[in-house]
Amino acid sequence: MKKKLLALLLAGAMALSLAACGGNGGNGGNGDNQTPQTSAPTNAPDNQEPADNQEPAGGGLTAESIKIGFVNIGDESDMGYTYNIVQGAKGMMSALGVPEANVITKANCPEDSTCETYLRELAEEGCNIIFATSFGFEDYVIRVASDYPDIQFCHLTGVQAADSGLSNVHNAFANIYEARYLAGIAAGLKTQTNKLGYVSAFNYAEPVSGYTAFYLGAKSVNPDVTMEVKYANSWNDPTVEARLAQALIDNGCDVISQHSDSTAPATTAESNGVWSVGYNSDQIKAAPNASLISSRIDWSVYMTYAVQCMLDGTPIDVDWTAGLAEGAVEITALNDAIAAGGTQEAIDEAMAKLISGELHVFEGPLNGYNAFDESKTVSELVPAGEFYDESSLELGSAPSWDNIIEGITES
Amino acid sequence: MDKVLNFLVAAVLAGTPLLFGTAGEVLTEKSGNLNLGVEGMMFMGGVAGLAGAYYYEQAVGTPIGWVAILIAVACAFLCGVLGALIYGFLTITLRANQNVTGLALTIFGTGFGNFFGEVMHNSVGSYVAVCDVTKNAFSAGIPVLSGLPVVGKLLFSYNVLVYLAIAVALGLAWFLGRTRKGLNLIAVGESPATADAAGINVTVYKYLSTCIGGGIAGLGGMYIVMVTCSGVWVHNCISGYGWLAVALVIFATWSPLRSIFCALVFGGLSVLRYYLPLGIPMQIYDILPYVVTVIVLVAISMRNKRESQPPASLGSAYFREER
Repeated sequence: MKKKLLALLLAGAMALSLAACGGNGGNGGNGDNQTPQTSAPTNAPDNQEPADNQEPAGGGLTAESIKIGFVNIGDESDMGYTYNIVQGAKGMMSALGVPEANVITKANCPEDSTCETYLRELAEEGCNIIFATSFGFEDYVIRVASDYPDIQFCHLTGVQAADSGLSNVHNAFANIYEARYLAGIAAGLKTQTNKLGYVSAFNYAEPVSGYTAFYLGAKSVNPDVTMEVKYANSWNDPTVEARLAQALIDNGCDVISQHSDSTAPATTAESNGVWSVGYNSDQIKAAPNASLISSRIDWSVYMTYAVQCMLDGTPIDVDWTAGLAEGAVEITALNDAIAAGGTQEAIDEAMAKLISGELHVFEGPLNGYNAFDESKTVSELVPAGEFYDESSLELGSAPSWDNIIEGITES
Repeated sequence: MDKVLNFLVAAVLAGTPLLFGTAGEVLTEKSGNLNLGVEGMMFMGGVAGLAGAYYYEQAVGTPIGWVAILIAVACAFLCGVLGALIYGFLTITLRANQNVTGLALTIFGTGFGNFFGEVMHNSVGSYVAVCDVTKNAFSAGIPVLSGLPVVGKLLFSYNVLVYLAIAVALGLAWFLGRTRKGLNLIAVGESPATADAAGINVTVYKYLSTCIGGGIAGLGGMYIVMVTCSGVWVHNCISGYGWLAVALVIFATWSPLRSIFCALVFGGLSVLRYYLPLGIPMQIYDILPYVVTVIVLVAISMRNKRESQPPASLGSAYFREER
């Protein structure tokens, strides 16, 4: 009897959860989220969407009528990556006067086929432009974009738009290396052991480019400085990040920077009496005695640009990036109470030179080896007098520098 | 020498949250209740501990370090008890399936922690962070003694929660092996029907051990929030360490004493990569703790010793009417 009851209950729960799933996709009709790749979803736009979507071509969209979709990997409570994205979205909305009701956000989307479901839901709800904001969403963006040629898909941090052959897929990034270079100046002036530590999530180009720029910034004001990098193999695992930071401090590092989401590296530095440089958000509130400065991307610049293109009826760039000059990357306020004297002046000077083009971050001579080269053979990467222009769009918008230069040890 | 010392200290610190979770789960499982919700209870304890310390600070303005610790410990323990009580009511009184209930508690506790973490974050408008006095109280070693060379760092440099975790494990070992109530509890876990016939109140024993075990697990969550993250709320901060504690219970073969050793070994293996560069891929390092767990499990099952077996009634509800 009990078993029967239990079975009934379970069956009931399953039926309910199915109904709940159906409810999500209800707007699109067709129950399309149960048949992810069949022709069902493609039929719908063919029949109905063109009526709506001829508007952007004719420039008939207004800030009041445009519908914007977001797919985010987390939600803003992470106080890190997604928080920064949401701040960007808010900036774009207030800059263009887009009412909140016109923006649909799908939060906490894992990097799997859930993303495809969310993208299709946004498309069916009539979004004119959809921002997918995590690297791992790229394959789903391209798959869905090919079914909805009239909707623009902007994928942040991605690399495949140019090769996808689709005119409605766009990649964007920002020259965060410029801001990291400036943050590195604060670290280089502060360090007393002349050894910096860096908690990096992974060892591919995006983090490698960031920590190389950070190191070069520090080196520009402190030629003796070296840096040790350790990888967390995860974007947000405060326990691992704290352990890595502790190990770096145990190895003699006295300024810890990070390319990971939690505040654990900063607070670990604080409890050891050393300093830290943050990323994505101002960490001074979390570690007032350690956090010197942070660098962040201001995504509102790109989002405003892309949505403005929609309103004007002009095409959006396939690859987009911008830097300090456009305000797309920035450094947060310097923690004057603990920063070394003259830090602000040194940063201001370097910033002016970076903006004017007098100074380049990846400036030769640079020697080192590729991050994926097991033999770690050092060779000349950039000869003296030349520089590596990462912002050049020939290489795509995402960071492309993936070499470990001399002075940096990684493990 | 310094390197070895740093490594050992890091191993102890890495093992402590696991020791709380493991010790709590050992106590729970000794009563025959398999509570897979350790992760959830750690989240609940973590957010409650932070809330307790944070709002105490806000209320008094100039906090006293040890009072903040006491309040955080009490809040984390009680919130862990609350989680375990939900589990206990469902599995002991309503006799629901223990595995399903435990999994549900994990999901519930994770949401509970992140929800209230976010509520606090929204009310503050920035990071929820405790002040320096509280931060220092949670990271300070034993005064005077920690200044001794070598021994000071090796034995006396830890925060107070490390000593609390070891005391809890030792206390549990004494309770289970040396007291009548402890033996009664073991009897309940081995054969509740026999214990019932001997006049032991099975329901009370199951409830108390499950709830106190949950409270201890909650302290593990508080350790991660208050020590590892230095009293700053980090979204999803427990991120799977509760599950490691469940695995460590088997690794420690249901013995609180061995759980101290196992937590230390597990902690040591998980920080090995950062202190002992061998030039092997980092992924190999990262799987080491789990490989060792598998090897130990195989070895234990081959030896088949009676004292390293799980409690005989583990995972099944007790129906008095079915005796």
